Amino acid sequence: MAEIRFAGYGGQGIIRSGIIVGKGASIYDNKFSTMNQAFGPEARGGACSSQVLLSDTKVLYPYVTVSDVLVAMSQEGYDMFEPELNDKGILLIDEDLVKTKPTRGKIRSFSIPSTRLAEELGNRVFANVVMLGFFTAVSKLVSKEGMEKAVADSVPERFIEHNLKAFQKGFDYYK
Amino acid sequence: MKANPRDVNSGTYYMDGDVAAGYGALAAGCRFIGGYPITPSTEAAETFARIAPKAGAVFIQMEDELGSIASIMGASWSGVKTMTITSGPGYSLMMEAIGLGAMIEAPFVILNIQRGGPSTGVPTKTGQADMMQARWGSHGDYEVIAIAPDSPQELFDYTIKAFNLAEKYRCPVMIMSDECVGHMSEKVVIPPAEEIEIEPRRFYNGPKEKYLPFKPDKDLVPKMVKAGDGYNLYITGLIHDERGYPIKNQIEKGKSQKLPTRRLVDKIRLNADKIIELAEEGMDDAEVVVVSYGISYRVAIRGIEIARGKGIKVGHLRLITVWPFPDKKINELASKVKAFVVPEINYGQVVFEVERCSHGQANVVLVPHGGAGVHDPDDIAEAIEYAAKEKKKIRKVIEWKTRLEKFVFEGGYKLNK
Amino acid sequence: MNPIITAFTNGIKKSGLELSKVVVVSDIPFEPEVIKEIGVDFFHVTRGRAIAFGTGLKLGNPDLKIVAFIGDLMTLGGNHLVHSGRRNMEMLVICVNNFVYKEIAGTLAPSVSPGFSAFSTFERPFNAPHLANSCGAIYTARWTAMHTNELANSIANALDKRGFSVIEVLAPGPNFYKDINQVNYELLDFYYKNSVTKNNVDTRNVEITSEEKIVTGEFTDKEKSPFIDTYNAQLGKILGDKFIPLGGQSGRD
Repeated sequence: MAEIRFAGYGGQGIIRSGIIVGKGASIYDNKFSTMNQAFGPEARGGACSSQVLLSDTKVLYPYVTVSDVLVAMSQEGYDMFEPELNDKGILLIDEDLVKTKPTRGKIRSFSIPSTRLAEELGNRVFANVVMLGFFTAVSKLVSKEGMEKAVADSVPERFIEHNLKAFQKGFDYYK
Repeated sequence: MKANPRDVNSGTYYMDGDVAAGYGALAAGCRFIGGYPITPSTEAAETFARIAPKAGAVFIQMEDELGSIASIMGASWSGVKTMTITSGPGYSLMMEAIGLGAMIEAPFVILNIQRGGPSTGVPTKTGQADMMQARWGSHGDYEVIAIAPDSPQELFDYTIKAFNLAEKYRCPVMIMSDECVGHMSEKVVIPPAEEIEIEPRRFYNGPKEKYLPFKPDKDLVPKMVKAGDGYNLYITGLIHDERGYPIKNQIEKGKSQKLPTRRLVDKIRLNADKIIELAEEGMDDAEVVVVSYGISYRVAIRGIEIARGKGIKVGHLRLITVWPFPDKKINELASKVKAFVVPEINYGQVVFEVERCSHGQANVVLVPHGGAGVHDPDDIAEAIEYAAKEKKKIRKVIEWKTRLEKFVFEGGYKLNK
Repeated sequence: MNPIITAFTNGIKKSGLELSKVVVVSDIPFEPEVIKEIGVDFFHVTRGRAIAFGTGLKLGNPDLKIVAFIGDLMTLGGNHLVHSGRRNMEMLVICVNNFVYKEIAGTLAPSVSPGFSAFSTFERPFNAPHLANSCGAIYTARWTAMHTNELANSIANALDKRGFSVIEVLAPGPNFYKDINQVNYELLDFYYKNSVTKNNVDTRNVEITSEEKIVTGEFTDKEKSPFIDTYNAQLGKILGDKFIPLGGQSGRD
């Protein structure tokens, strides 16, 4: 069982990230997953978050209570959801966008310049996919193969190649 | 009868509950949806509007919910399967015509993705506070069927079931889902058409001149024809005889006592055993039974696991159909168990039905929730623990003080004397 | 048989429509004998909702010809009128205007002009043909119930058209649908004598006032693509071969 939170702002692909992880886990890895997204004003720009619950059995409680992984792509998202993160959890941040406080407990923190890497690939809209590659490599919660299939399945056909490249770039960033 | 392959988008998807309901409606053979957009149900309508034209079905965005519900009844009598989709405020507007639907026995489905209320309430968050409205919302005596799905997969499956029940019993069928299930994404498997069983319309095929639109079959449900097929139909919301002709004057003059409402309620009440679908688990040696439905069912499982960890014998009864209510089942359980625990996202609706059917035999504990979220499983676990320990017979519904209630209302309001 | 029904029956005959394909939706309970005599299907629905109910019937089976007889057209049915005009939903609306709510002690309708009654008619009334015309109706007309021939012709003309048509019929009130004996002849005659027929006039000038004569006639008559055609054209453009158009081979299982 793992509880994952993606946080950022509208337009960064935060909700799509949740869908891709959920899809990768439940359709291609044959696990169970439930994805919930923030609706309301936050879904129309400004702060934005999505949550994914992964499990080997049917997910019952549908929301994140204590997250095992927090992926923060904005300062506001980090500030809002850092307290929710498990003492032994994993924190992933875009290092150009988030300044972290000193880590607490046994939280393992990883940073990546995902937006900058995406810009190098030609467009910052790939930032979330770069981050997903990084997330896959660090957390090992969903198989790389499953994630790649889910990425390919979630974007228009002409962008599949670009997205997979971005994914690989994020994946390779973790050494 | 099997579903039409043209209507079934078979495959494995990762989709939210609303979208799944849209696919379910088409798979069930729905040919017409009249709706008016409202959060959090809109995605269901959007989905249907997108996939329907490829199957010869149509979605129309009506001018309001009053028009939506009237239009689906018209379409129903034109011979097609119909549904409308709504939430909170829109559902309230639809109440006007639900009585008409019951009276003219038009088969139709209403999908209500419940949100926090009353009034505009919390449009983007969940609630289960329309359950009694579903049952009693329109004026007059009638019966409905209501189903509470707990996941996107079930929103697909039970939307089909809702259509089947509507066609079989010719009454309003409500899918009482909620924002949490409607907006959660999970794996949904849409099976091939040949694996989907659908109920055809009960068309009359005897001699034209002998057709009586409200003459019931053995199961108390009459057969239907299509408008425009030369039956010279007379269909009215006034009380009517088997021909459909108003008997208002005879009743007023005391010349007739034969109110058709008797059959409208009996066709559901007497068929209740066939309609009701329940799921139960851990009942054999249960001391406490949790009665839950919809999203609260999933959350309650976690509460039950916690309570079982503490050695409490607790069973779980899930109401898949909430209306008609499983009176017999609850009554039977009440004689065997100590207490019922009912978690629902409201301040007490279905719990009073449980109390009614328990007839004072078992204690009844409500775990309330004011809406805009789901229960904390610990609250449900603690309520179970309390219910197992309580030795006294308490002759009223016991309201469990949840953490949220304690935190927000500091133990509840008191009247100043 | 009362004059409006006679005109309606004659109108259908003139239009050459197949009776079984005509479906009358009404928020007024017709007498069953009347319906049997005309030979159409009939639905009596909650007040004001006949247009919406008819919309469902039409889209469920595009072969049907929908006629909505409405009492509460400009009140409860107002929004349905406005939007069906906008969509050009194929339907004939016959608005039976008797200026009162018959069973509610003669409460006045929103079509009554100031001056008709001392106490309650200080509000501005609706001008039904103008309202319908403004909403996009392709055909509007007004007759009194005594104009049986004109009304029958008008109904035939409207039934020939594909789109949203509205005919206002001024009727003398209580229990008009029951039988001829209850018709208030005096009032019927009053309307008739106080009316003047002016075809094709601007609907802005046909407001009913207590000072001037009631203007009757056919006011609007234009062509516009009806809802189903617009729907088929638009979705056909987007979906191409994948689209199954409404009507004809549509999905009536």
